[in-house]
Amino acid sequence: MPGSIRPDSTTDPDLVAAYREGDERAATELVRRHVKALGRFLYSMGAEQDDLDDLTQETLFRAFRRVESWRGGASFRSWLLTIGSNLLRDQVRKRKGWLVSIDDREIPDHSDPHSDLAAGEAEDRVREGLTRLPRLQREVFLLRAQEGSDYGEIATLLGTTPGAARVHYHHAVKRLKELVR
Amino acid sequence: MTECGWLSDRIPAVSAGRAQWTPEEVQHLNLCRMCQQEWELIRVAGRLGNSAGVSFDAPAVTGAVLQRLERHREMRRARRRTWGLTGLAAAAAIAAAVWTGGVDQGSMRPVPAGPVVAGRLAIPLPELESLQPAELDSVLQTMDEPNVSGAPVDEPGLGNLNSDELESVLDSWEG
Repeated sequence: MPGSIRPDSTTDPDLVAAYREGDERAATELVRRHVKALGRFLYSMGAEQDDLDDLTQETLFRAFRRVESWRGGASFRSWLLTIGSNLLRDQVRKRKGWLVSIDDREIPDHSDPHSDLAAGEAEDRVREGLTRLPRLQREVFLLRAQEGSDYGEIATLLGTTPGAARVHYHHAVKRLKELVR
Repeated sequence: MTECGWLSDRIPAVSAGRAQWTPEEVQHLNLCRMCQQEWELIRVAGRLGNSAGVSFDAPAVTGAVLQRLERHREMRRARRRTWGLTGLAAAAAIAAAVWTGGVDQGSMRPVPAGPVVAGRLAIPLPELESLQPAELDSVLQTMDEPNVSGAPVDEPGLGNLNSDELESVLDSWEG
């Protein structure tokens, strides 16, 4: 559908269909919409900042290469985030290491007012707490907290049931509340 | 479900901008310390990464991804061409070998089935042995007639055969 892509009104399924027909502008628009959320999600899942560019690009490459496998059961973004999460898991396995502790991460130096500092501290504590959760709890929690995904969508993406997704989410919330307190 | 449980399930959707609070929910949130704590947790988690300077140049990332996809497609095309040529070369080599007699053609010829089948298909039919030649001819004639009625042919059940008989039948089918 050359010439018909309107950044704000064209839906993700329409963009995916256009990309399948060879319209590369559709891919650009999909990347523009989701790349930042993907980067933030991967970072929250424990990716190192230095790896973010590579991980993001690899995730998008894999997603576009197998775009036929996205059937619209979940949102395109959530599907993308799940691919990224699997990629990150594989990377961690290959390195045979653990997800990076917050203490080892390069936290940007903020010369912001006190309120920003307090907000930054709260974020650091949540990120630290997230690294201590089992992977599935962390993934379910972030899909809920960052994307507002419902349990049905998460269950479709992660190959589980909505009930199990709900249990993972509530366990994560409970543990994070304890860790962040 | 308690009011807190209900709110807990609603918080992520509201925080992500997918839903809005109802007045009753706002009232509960203002009074419930646990729900306020959870709301704050989800708000912070929703902001994660923002302060880490996670931002990407979408056109540049797309360009790099599309370039990789094109390279990937080109590699697949090249691989397919290579396999096609290999297949053709193998077929040509076999054809040349057959043409020049390089392959023992005798071993490829099918074994004539008739006599072997007749010899091996020794299924005992005691009920026919007591018949007179004329009666036997009559029975055999009816067996030779084509089944024009459309009724299913009553095939001998292979399940009743012993292993030697079954092997004979199967050998005869394979020719």
